[in-house]
Amino acid sequence: MAQAQVATQTMLSVVDLHKDFGGLHAVDGATFEVETGAITGLIGPNGAGKSTALALIAGALKPTSGSVVFRGNDITTTPSHQRARQGLVRTFQLSGEFPRLTVLENLLVTAPNQRGDSLARVVLGKWTWKAQETRLLAQARELLGRFELADKEDEYAGNLSGGQKRLLQIARGLMAQPALLLLDEPMAGVNPTLSRRLEQHLLELRAEGLTILMVEHELGVVERLCDHTIVMAQGRVLAQGTMMELRRNQEVLDAYLIG
Amino acid sequence: MSSAVQFYVTILLIYLGVDAIACLALNLQFGVTGLVNFGFILFQAAGAYTAAVLTLGPSSANGGYQQYIGGASLPFPLPLLAAAIVGALLSLLVGLVGLRRLRTDYQAIVLLAVSLIGATIATNQVGLFNGASGLSLVPHPLADVLNLDPISYAWVYVAITMALFLLTWLLVHRITSSPLGRTLRSVRESEAVAASVGKNVIRLKLTAYVLGGAIAAVSGALLVEFITAWSPSSWLPAETFVYFAAVIVGGAGNNLGAIVGAALVPVAFIEASQYIPAFGRPGLIESVQWIVIGLLIAVFLWVRPAGIFPERRRRYAKPHPAGDGAQTPQSEPVLPSG
Amino acid sequence: MSIVLPAIGFGLITASILAIAAVGFTLQFGATNVLNLAYADTMTAAAFIAYMVTHAGLSIWIALIAGTVFGAVASYALNRFVYVPYVRRGTKLFGMVILTIAVSIIVQFGLMAIYGSDFYNLQSSSGSSFKIGPFIFTAIQIAIILIAVVAMLAVHLLLTYTKLGKAMRATANDPDLARDCGINTDRVIDLVWLVSGALCGLAGVVLVMNVTGFDVTTGNGFLIPILAVAILGGIGQARGAMLGALVIGIASEVAGAVISPGYKTVVAFVILVLVLLFRPQGILSEVATQKELAA
Repeated sequence: MAQAQVATQTMLSVVDLHKDFGGLHAVDGATFEVETGAITGLIGPNGAGKSTALALIAGALKPTSGSVVFRGNDITTTPSHQRARQGLVRTFQLSGEFPRLTVLENLLVTAPNQRGDSLARVVLGKWTWKAQETRLLAQARELLGRFELADKEDEYAGNLSGGQKRLLQIARGLMAQPALLLLDEPMAGVNPTLSRRLEQHLLELRAEGLTILMVEHELGVVERLCDHTIVMAQGRVLAQGTMMELRRNQEVLDAYLIG
Repeated sequence: MSSAVQFYVTILLIYLGVDAIACLALNLQFGVTGLVNFGFILFQAAGAYTAAVLTLGPSSANGGYQQYIGGASLPFPLPLLAAAIVGALLSLLVGLVGLRRLRTDYQAIVLLAVSLIGATIATNQVGLFNGASGLSLVPHPLADVLNLDPISYAWVYVAITMALFLLTWLLVHRITSSPLGRTLRSVRESEAVAASVGKNVIRLKLTAYVLGGAIAAVSGALLVEFITAWSPSSWLPAETFVYFAAVIVGGAGNNLGAIVGAALVPVAFIEASQYIPAFGRPGLIESVQWIVIGLLIAVFLWVRPAGIFPERRRRYAKPHPAGDGAQTPQSEPVLPSG
Repeated sequence: MSIVLPAIGFGLITASILAIAAVGFTLQFGATNVLNLAYADTMTAAAFIAYMVTHAGLSIWIALIAGTVFGAVASYALNRFVYVPYVRRGTKLFGMVILTIAVSIIVQFGLMAIYGSDFYNLQSSSGSSFKIGPFIFTAIQIAIILIAVVAMLAVHLLLTYTKLGKAMRATANDPDLARDCGINTDRVIDLVWLVSGALCGLAGVVLVMNVTGFDVTTGNGFLIPILAVAILGGIGQARGAMLGALVIGIASEVAGAVISPGYKTVVAFVILVLVLLFRPQGILSEVATQKELAA
């Protein structure tokens, strides 16, 4: 009975994941699960393999061995664009936007299954995709409003401030209607006010049922947001639990000190 | 107009049409999708050769002074259609191999190398397209059906060229003002981010590449059917950069820019040199033309890299303020303007 | 077998020329990450300088020095006064590639404006022939091979044992880190362009020493083989370039002998395309880094 419960609650599981770069074992046998509907943190000292693990989950890198299972399906060999279509959406630490598309277009382009993306329909004419585009416009504008970017809709995304770009990435991620959102250090280099606003948004998203996996350095953020946290060091999972539990774990403290 | 002037005007218009079609193709590949197709001229040449060998009769005719494959004496517009298909297939082949994820400059030289390989094969395999001497005496399409004097025939050809140009423009305009155009631009902006939002990047690049290749081939076919001759000297790999100069000067990412670029660079500029009295040794003027092309590119990259007509920022019409934003039947279509 | 053996002999000469050129190119590319497509035309320009020197009655050795110095100065100036300003202005990677092509066009047709499309030669006799092992070489050809060997040795010593060489390697490897270690990367890059430019000029003169006639397009014909060698050997890796030069030099001559002379360069093109598609990091490196994949 408990097994079945765990199975339906697991959004993502990573099993014995390995990634070698020449002689470097960036990820060295990592195994963990991400629970549906929760915000899970992935922390660890520099070089622990967190960003590599995230890239493996997103499909940007192919693992040397091990597997990635998403919503019950083995996606280890699935190309990254297909993972996105299946609901696994990631953000980027740097350069996560399309600089010379407008803010509104950044959102519009993300929507999945656009009729206007098909060459055949485009050649036949606007009437084949106009209606859907209208709906997407409304949806995009609503998201922009929600993330306080409405007045920037016609601005080139490359001209936004760093914080605004972060908001844009999250808003854009939502346009793809994801099941799991992978955040790569969302608070890095962000001022405290904006950081609080971002946290609010993420909490709201969780309340709406979105599952989030977040790589983050700011332990305060992790403490406030994450239901469950995974600590990685030297390519492996060192410990898991709530931040309170982890703070009392000697191995974790050592790992951070030695780093 | 005297017939000499008329003839000159028709040639100018035909070159303008052909170059505009080619620039629209390159703009789709490079300006919109970011593909640095340094091998562009190969596809125009493929179209020209295809149309030529299909319009010509069997190679043994006329005493067999030129060797080539094909020789089907097909009537217009079949050679043009065949050219489009060949251009598309060649682009598919090259694209499948050459468009994988690679840094921009490496990709550019792979594509340049492909056109150089093509040029070497065309020159050395004499049986294909008559080698370095090239093909000549390609019959004018519809010439025997229409039975006109040269000037009138030229005007008819201008009409054909303009029709094809309008068709091309209609096609690329539809693409660039649609969600597909937006998606292609996202691939240009960042392949990694595009993939992360679910775009099949390689398929999108191939779509732009194959379409561009087919259109470039049609431009080549159109040209050869009028000038009736085509040899490797007609399509030196460096010619690709004349088109690049045109697209950059006109404005990469903007269809109007591509057309203006075609008018300014290949046509006006090279035609204008006809008016400069010959000075210095033969070939000096040609060298100067090329130096100016190089300088034009360099200057524009410094002063106005976006070109004369930069890519337009797309604004999307907002819904009516009245009501809750729902569309009334007479409301403005909510579409990108421009 | 009888056509292959002399082809290998020619291959050694081609390899010598390619080695000098490609080592220069790979150093330039490795340190500054700019694919200088005007490199081969700079070689041609150096060849014409050598031509003017020999036709003024001076010896071939003075011509070699003149060409080398010209290459060094011209390359340095090109980087400092053209490429660096454009990069500082914010020109992106594909803008820079197109810029180098524009420079290449300006140089090549500038030369054509001055010298026309005629063929020229250095007016030095090939000297007597010598039989070395199974090969027969003229004095000039032996000189070319020796020059290449000396140049490669000099480069190797420079990179391995001198302070400048180490600074060059550090800058090529990781410019930011090099700067943090106190290396004046701007000056190192200037020096890289001087040294690689010297090799470029030297290669240009050596290239035309062995031909009956050259014109303004001669250097350009070597661009793709040079690229092929540099990338095959791994960018920034001089030793890889030397190895690559042997492979491509001999392979192209043998192909030219066995298939047809027109196909000599096709071999280099095909190797280039294959390497870029399947192993862009070159034969010596281990793994394709982000440097090779899309930016």
